[in-house]
Amino acid sequence: MNTLYKRACLLAGGLAALLVICTSALWLRQRGAQSAAYTACIYQNGQLLRSIPLDQVTESYRFTIEADNGGYNIVEVSPAGISIAQADCPDQICVLQGRISDSLLPITCLPHRLVIELKPCAPASTAPSPDAVAY
Amino acid sequence: MHTRKLTALALFTALALAIYSVENLLPPAVPLPGVKLGLANIITLLVLHLYDARDAALVLLARVLLSSLLFGQAMSLLYSLCGGLLCFAAMTLASRLLHRRFPELTSILGGIFHNIGQLLAALLITAVPGVLVYLPYLLISGIVTGLFTGLCARFALRLLRRLLPSG
Repeated sequence: MNTLYKRACLLAGGLAALLVICTSALWLRQRGAQSAAYTACIYQNGQLLRSIPLDQVTESYRFTIEADNGGYNIVEVSPAGISIAQADCPDQICVLQGRISDSLLPITCLPHRLVIELKPCAPASTAPSPDAVAY
Repeated sequence: MHTRKLTALALFTALALAIYSVENLLPPAVPLPGVKLGLANIITLLVLHLYDARDAALVLLARVLLSSLLFGQAMSLLYSLCGGLLCFAAMTLASRLLHRRFPELTSILGGIFHNIGQLLAALLITAVPGVLVYLPYLLISGIVTGLFTGLCARFALRLLRRLLPSG
């Protein structure tokens, strides 16, 4: 009886600690996010499909990415950020997530294996994206 | 297996399937992949606490297979299985350690491991390490939703233990 309650308290304490750690980690990331210039990296099936330096975007435009299973995602690029304007995935989570303008959270469309990440770009004069070489 | 128990387990399976399909109709409250209430887990918890791990595994398996037949999406089956297996293992272990007395703690552990499993599946499928930044969000969501479903299970157990003498 006693050891059972001790066990439960220990577990509850551990879970509470985990909750505090996660919350403070998120809080620290949120505070540490500086407004830098970002490059949007669009991955499909783990391959870098396109990378778009957002600071060079002057007016917004859209383009369509076809998924392997016949689906599509329409990506909207604007100077303020990047979003998925429309998609035919069942859960629509990628569309609901809206526009991202920092590197806190990538947009993910799991049914179409699509990930859009914002990465702080290096100063404008760098050679064409070194990411492409790694793949 | 006694007819009485078989009937009860079949009823639990039907309930789980109904809860699962209703939850599927709700729009996602938080637009993050992997964040959901997981209400059908209440049934897994109930069977785990009223009967044993083997019966809970049967009900869970029946629910997953039936739901993928009815609402089938091959992709989501992979996540569900990955998350579901880890979640079930964690809950079985936890309910044994806690002598089936703390469904909310069991459920929170299940929620956390469910989300870890899903994140691992997402990592495998997208092959983009950047998706790991979802981890703190998913852990928090696992704790919160796990607490909710666990409390639901606790209140349901109070009634069911009187109605269903186990066995």
